[in-house]
Amino acid sequence: MNPISRDFAPPLKLIAPFFHFGVIFYLLSMLALLFFEPTFSYQQMDVAGWIHLFLLGFVMMIIFGAMAQLIPVVLEVGHVVVDVYYVILPLLALGAVVMVFGFWMMPALLPYGGLLVLIAMIIFAFENIATLKKTELKTLTVETVAWSNGYLLLGILTGFAIALGLSGDLGIDVSLMLKAHVYAVLGGYVVLTIMGLSLTLIPMFSLAHGFDETAVKRAFKLVISSVAVVFAGAVLGFEWLMMLGYALSFAGIFFYMWQIYIIAKLTVRKELDVWAKSIIFAFVTLILSIILSILYFITDIESVLHASIWFLLLGFVSFFIIGHLYKIVPFLVWFERFAPLVGKEKVPMLHEMYSKEGASIMFWFTSAGVLLGGFGLLFESNILFKAAGSFLFTGAIFLYITMRKMLAYGE
Amino acid sequence: MCDINKEKVFAAISTVIDPEVGFNLVEMGLIYDAIIDDACNVHVIMTLSTQGCPLHQMIKQWVYEAVEKLDGVGTIEVEVVWEPAWNISMADDNVKKALGGM
Repeated sequence: MNPISRDFAPPLKLIAPFFHFGVIFYLLSMLALLFFEPTFSYQQMDVAGWIHLFLLGFVMMIIFGAMAQLIPVVLEVGHVVVDVYYVILPLLALGAVVMVFGFWMMPALLPYGGLLVLIAMIIFAFENIATLKKTELKTLTVETVAWSNGYLLLGILTGFAIALGLSGDLGIDVSLMLKAHVYAVLGGYVVLTIMGLSLTLIPMFSLAHGFDETAVKRAFKLVISSVAVVFAGAVLGFEWLMMLGYALSFAGIFFYMWQIYIIAKLTVRKELDVWAKSIIFAFVTLILSIILSILYFITDIESVLHASIWFLLLGFVSFFIIGHLYKIVPFLVWFERFAPLVGKEKVPMLHEMYSKEGASIMFWFTSAGVLLGGFGLLFESNILFKAAGSFLFTGAIFLYITMRKMLAYGE
Repeated sequence: MCDINKEKVFAAISTVIDPEVGFNLVEMGLIYDAIIDDACNVHVIMTLSTQGCPLHQMIKQWVYEAVEKLDGVGTIEVEVVWEPAWNISMADDNVKKALGGM
């Protein structure tokens, strides 16, 4: 028999820093929230700075680290050049920091930060595309990875154009380009990637089998089309086209939720560990976000839109990521440090590699913070929003501590 | 004459634990069959709980190493199949109970 194939698995020392830095950026994002008010505009530079701290530093950093590990699992081939991830991390981290300071203090820095992020993402997207070309698999998840990387490139190019526009180096309509940028990155990359990963990770961890995938196939097609339509509408300045794109998005998310419901019904594993609780909370907040966004289209009240986006980002996206950190990080550490010892000495189970109490405190503080913050934004209540910031920051401290302990387990 | 039988092979494989769920592969119902010929060559037919399992190669290796410890064993082949697909009804009652399935 051939020796153990570890060719596809990137080393822990390559992936762990993505999670480490991602969680630090999350902690900083939650700390920064303490200095914000619940009434704001997306045109405000400090708000744009916070969004980039959160999305680039935390969301993208963790997704990139996770993709380094999961791309070979999903595509069943090794990375073409896995070492590029050693370059991507410092470029992304430094780019995020420079951009945040650009937004907060010195707009002239924006193109420099933007350029660093652009290079990091181009390397990431091209490496993924090259790896995609190696696989013979034609699954839905593979197709989604291809589309999401295409949208990532579009999103970052429009983002770089905005950075040049804000620093005065390029004469473009920033507000129109902003919608194209947000939709390409958030809808086209983050949401599409999460949908694709859901289909692999949720059944894997919940031991759900034999489910029909028709709903998610429709969801992927609708979301992929919706991003293209909104992007075109934003670039061309056609409001009606954007509205059509939003409608397609709602339909896509509906089918995605339906698919999750089908998987949930077939779930074998009923234990409510921090992963299960986080995933349930993520979908509850996604439902809240959808309801509020529909309400916004009816009422046109800005605070309703703010609460909807809050629940989407801090609720759905954050909890989907954080919940999976408690599955993926122990696995990576175990794979590196304990798998070679199997059969030779006693090795820990994955769930023994993190503090249940620490994870539980993280979950309750963070979920309370998300709910308080969402309602703080909805009712424009400063007290609720400040309380949310405190809860979220406390939860983030526990996330950081438990993550550090997981990464150091068995060192 | 080979004195290795299916029970011995299953007992050997039951030392292999899935680190995610904490149960051994036999009680999970992942080992479908073990075919032993007169020369003590062993062919294990097994599955995994999910097709995208990142531990696929390792689990095969652990099964191989567990069977290799049997005295007098000949060649060993570990084959992973996806039909029939694994489901919780194939697991022992203690697994079903612990996972909350009953």
